[in-house]
Amino acid sequence: MEEDVETRKISSSFLRDHSYATEADIISTVEFNHTGELLATGDKGGRVVIFQREQESKHQPHRRGEYNVYSTFQSHEPEFDYLKSLEIEEKINKIRWLPQQNAAYFLLSTNDKTVKLWKVSERDKRPEGYNLKDEDGRLRDPSMITMLRVPVLRPMDLMVEATPRRVFANAHTYHINSISVNSDYETYMSADDLRINLWNFEITNQSFNIVDIKPANMEELTEVITAAEFHPHHCNTFVYSSSKGTIRLCDMRTSALCDRHAKFFEEPEDPSNRSFFSEIISSISDVKFSHSGRYIMTRDYLTVKVWDLNMENRPIETYQVHDYLRSKLCSLYENDCIFDKFECVWNGSDSVIMTGSYNNFFRMFDRNTKRDVTLEASRENSKPRAILKPRKVCVGGKRRKDEISVDSLDFSKKILHTAWHPSENIIAVAATNNLYIFQDKVN
Amino acid sequence: MEFKLEAHRIVSISLGKIYSARGQRGGLKLHKNLLVSLVLRSARQVYLSEPGCPPEPPHAACGPPEEEPPPCTTVWAAGEPPPPPQDEAARGGPRLPGADCEGPRSRRCCCGCSCCCAAGGGEANPADCATAGAAAPPPPHCPRKRSAGERGQAGSPVKKPRREVEDPPPPPPGEQEDMDTGNVASLISIFGSSFSGLLSKEPKGRRRAPLDGSETAPAEAAAEPGQICCDEPVLRTLNPWSTAIVAF
Repeated sequence: MEEDVETRKISSSFLRDHSYATEADIISTVEFNHTGELLATGDKGGRVVIFQREQESKHQPHRRGEYNVYSTFQSHEPEFDYLKSLEIEEKINKIRWLPQQNAAYFLLSTNDKTVKLWKVSERDKRPEGYNLKDEDGRLRDPSMITMLRVPVLRPMDLMVEATPRRVFANAHTYHINSISVNSDYETYMSADDLRINLWNFEITNQSFNIVDIKPANMEELTEVITAAEFHPHHCNTFVYSSSKGTIRLCDMRTSALCDRHAKFFEEPEDPSNRSFFSEIISSISDVKFSHSGRYIMTRDYLTVKVWDLNMENRPIETYQVHDYLRSKLCSLYENDCIFDKFECVWNGSDSVIMTGSYNNFFRMFDRNTKRDVTLEASRENSKPRAILKPRKVCVGGKRRKDEISVDSLDFSKKILHTAWHPSENIIAVAATNNLYIFQDKVN
Repeated sequence: MEFKLEAHRIVSISLGKIYSARGQRGGLKLHKNLLVSLVLRSARQVYLSEPGCPPEPPHAACGPPEEEPPPCTTVWAAGEPPPPPQDEAARGGPRLPGADCEGPRSRRCCCGCSCCCAAGGGEANPADCATAGAAAPPPPHCPRKRSAGERGQAGSPVKKPRREVEDPPPPPPGEQEDMDTGNVASLISIFGSSFSGLLSKEPKGRRRAPLDGSETAPAEAAAEPGQICCDEPVLRTLNPWSTAIVAF
């Protein structure tokens, strides 16, 4: 597979705040890099937009570390698989940053079938004074050259380039749902519905298959892989979640094919909550290790759960995200909302967890104080730099002022993707085609 | 009783989702369709285990053949490349009512390919099936739909409502609920028990959604639809549902 090293110039314009929402602009993933200096978003149209935090300056203290567009590039294009007569969507499913090792930034972006490694680098100098070509780039006639000079680097306007350095293709039969960079920074894994592959960053034409849950007879299929992640410190450990609400922790040292788990996390089902849709709402949509590596957090349709790696039989904490939807599951099944895959994130200190909901609401849970808050990401309801007002959903009985009743929630406005700065209280919230960045108020 | 109606409704919604998933961009989403199939099975189990589930309709005479082509052609028109429609009509014509219903039906059962749906008295035979099956790989939905449409007319009580709903355009799924809910049990048992066929027989992740897994080879699929087809009394009353599926 040849590697495309074509250099591309990027325009730094980013089309935001459309009055109409084109589907290609719907944000499909949000991710801070390891320092929090950069924030990357991917959308349904296959584009990646990277924001960079401004350096704080004394002259403009009110513009404390705002995020501005740094680079925009087209990561994936729609493809057609002629063999299977299938169109492959260009939607970016996940972006994961690599830790920075030199002046350039590296990130992985993936659609349903192909993972790409992108290098984002700055250029602020250009060489001038070539001997064999003049400033326009035209070649000079060598016989006309009478003297030689050494080219010098002169400053130029900053240009940010994104180049695809590796393309990891043709390794997944099913749709890729997760990628995760290993703590060894040499390997990463990509997971689809039935298999997980381990890659080396340098090798694009082969990968190791480390998990394969495809049954010999597809009629016996009962569960699929929904998310996977490497442990933040132990390069041999990873977890993957399933559509049945279970999490498996695997150790790559035990065998090459990690079909047998080292730990199996499952909470027994509450029989009183049984309904037609119990299986759907128990499907885990996201799994995240805590920064400490001691806990994992899982998101299913109605709850967020925190598990201790040392206790497999039940989670240590369960938070209700929008339990008022439990009685509406049939309607949510009809309009497909029950299949929405919400993500969840930890804050830098693992003390607060956040996840999205409907009506552009998102929820934060403080694990220590057990307090929770519902906030809204909408321009109509909050002015820039205004403090967000907590929202409340009224579940029945008398609706107080400022409360919203369940029936007036807008289910087309869903917050599936959020990100939390690795060390500060800055959050990025993707609401359909808009990106909101909220910071702690500083006086 | 309300559980049955809800189960009924859920089944029809689930079928609609599966049907519409076939045309979506990016190919079949395995996860979503697995979940839909689980819901379908749950709804079916509830439906069948509820007391007061209507008994299987009695074995009735085969209906007149001329009613046969319309549902079949409608089914084909639903976007699948049909095996030669002329053959269907031809086979449908000379189909003998009455005594031969048992025979052709059982023969049909053994061969999983689409041509089997034609239960024409002496016409359908395994050889024909094999050739036709090999010539035109049956589109995913069709074998079951066709057999449903065909056999459905055999049941006299449901002939009338079926004729009414066959007038184009087919009525929206909501109206189907007014019909004999006995059909739901039949359909659920067909779809439910063989539903896993949706995910089966996918060579290298091919995403077409065969309801009976007959995509790869008729012979391979023979065992599966065979089990279902043999449920004769059940299949006979399926015509309103075949139209419902078409409506999706």
